[in-house]
Amino acid sequence: MKIALDAIRSCLEGAIPGQIATVAADGTPNVAYLSQVQYVDASHVALSWQFFNSTRRNILDIPFARVAVIDPVTAAQYRLSLQYLRTESAGPLFETMKAKLAGIASHAGMTGVFKLLGADIYRVLRIERVPGATLPAPPPRHNLLAALRASAEQLCRCTDLEGLLGQTLDCLELRFDIHHAMILMLDAAVGRLYTVASRGYEVSGIGSEIALGDGVIGVAARERTPIRIGHFAADYSYGRAIRNSLAREGLVSTGHEIPLPGLARSSSQLALPIHAGRQLVGVLYVESPLEQRFGYDDEDALVALAGGLGAAIQLLQQQGTEESGRTSTPDAAVPDTLSNEGQPLTVRHYAENDSVFLDGDYLIKGVAGAILWALLNDYANHGRTAFTNRELRLDPRIRLPDLSDNLEARLILLSRRLQEKSAAIRIDKPARGCIRLRLARPVELVGIIASH
Amino acid sequence: MAHPPPLLDAEQAAFISSGLSISAAACQPGALPNLARATGCRVSTDRCTVTLLLSRPASAALLQDVADNGRIAVVFSEPDSHRTLQLKGTDAREVGLEPGDPARAQHHVDRFVARLEPLGYPVDVLRTLLACAPEDLAALAFTPSRGSFQTPGPEAGTPLRSAS
Repeated sequence: MKIALDAIRSCLEGAIPGQIATVAADGTPNVAYLSQVQYVDASHVALSWQFFNSTRRNILDIPFARVAVIDPVTAAQYRLSLQYLRTESAGPLFETMKAKLAGIASHAGMTGVFKLLGADIYRVLRIERVPGATLPAPPPRHNLLAALRASAEQLCRCTDLEGLLGQTLDCLELRFDIHHAMILMLDAAVGRLYTVASRGYEVSGIGSEIALGDGVIGVAARERTPIRIGHFAADYSYGRAIRNSLAREGLVSTGHEIPLPGLARSSSQLALPIHAGRQLVGVLYVESPLEQRFGYDDEDALVALAGGLGAAIQLLQQQGTEESGRTSTPDAAVPDTLSNEGQPLTVRHYAENDSVFLDGDYLIKGVAGAILWALLNDYANHGRTAFTNRELRLDPRIRLPDLSDNLEARLILLSRRLQEKSAAIRIDKPARGCIRLRLARPVELVGIIASH
Repeated sequence: MAHPPPLLDAEQAAFISSGLSISAAACQPGALPNLARATGCRVSTDRCTVTLLLSRPASAALLQDVADNGRIAVVFSEPDSHRTLQLKGTDAREVGLEPGDPARAQHHVDRFVARLEPLGYPVDVLRTLLACAPEDLAALAFTPSRGSFQTPGPEAGTPLRSAS
């Protein structure tokens, strides 16, 4: 019986190192251990090229190799007959392998020694089972397809973005047994991702940001590919990612950054890009304190889940754009909980980055900060408390990157930050396409044009 | 005529017999190489001959290649330190088992598992992987004629000097 590559993917997780045999031009055999065999598709694998060595020389001369891999649970051994095709030294596959290798190197005490020079891509010519004893395979932890199906049905019923994000985290927790997760949306104009929903952390981290290319999340977004690491890897840890983000912008910490939620020592990380059509809209991120928690099958299931999430986000966004023209006029909305009593809340806004501070306490920056500042100014100048999404999209003060920007996500972010800070200001959504400003204290607005 | 001095020094000979991960490769012209895991090895007292113990069913193609041309490459790796040595020979041939070889293979598995268990590897998987019934054992002897250090890092690829 022909053995399919995707049927033996658990052998490619690297739990037990494989070996590669090659032949030199003079006919001398060579055998070496492998750090990484990466599944590429049903008929290709990629091997990590880390050193200029005999294997490398041989494969460039005679492009055929035999690789042995082992099932880490049953001990079944397989031999793959391979034909070398090419080497990739950049791009999604390279970054996927580089991240995974960082985890492997950390686990093996080889950080700084294992460095990916290239992803060598091989065609799989044949797979054979090596005769030998095996152990029985235990039953799977749960059925990922059933979890995926139930989640897809649940997400289809969501009618707004906030509900969709919350339900996605519910599904991960209840159906996939994944208890640490976050969803970040892309701010394409500034090349950063901001957290809009999270589950399983001491602090929600709503509003925290990460730059494209930083950490597992940032690399997944930049390369538009899932990134999965099965061991703790300092190079891809949060602390490193945040420091990189700041360093790249020539900044030192101001103390105003909202900390990214996350496990202090994550042993399994999986970041999945969320696409709406061809556009990247965000990243779904899951992690675990357990090593090797997520395998190829988990990755497949969550890629499919992220696909459904992206399609749903796109649909809701389109509906939002269309419906915002048909909503009731702002003046018809009835303001409530407006208060002019008590000590005024000082709202300070810095125009250079739209950061907003409430009584000196950092709240938010960027587009969400600009939205709040515009709402408060309209309230202060015209007494308005009711607004439509449509007018916000067109408001030049808010400077949305473009009309297709996910305004809804910015509003969720703003609303959640106000809630978490127990601020005297709240925004809520009385009807689809409308938002309402609520104030429990009078406000004093201080606009600061430049920092110097 | 005097034999050339052994390639392995005493420490290296002891190292390769110390319950390491051992894999061998062989090949024939125009065909893909074959490889197999060994389940133990012994070194002759003059250190000139290394004999691998292998499961015959799992290494049938490799044994055939060796029978045809005697060429062999063997890698020995210490899993906990990653210290790795590769030996090559051109006179490999199947030889008869010695009376102590089945026990030697069992001892090898025990030492190998003892090295890996503290690293979190599943013991039953490792034992199953290297299990070989005594009647399935084959022995392959060769004279190491070339060798190199293959521990990952800057020293990888450095040739072994002949011990004098």
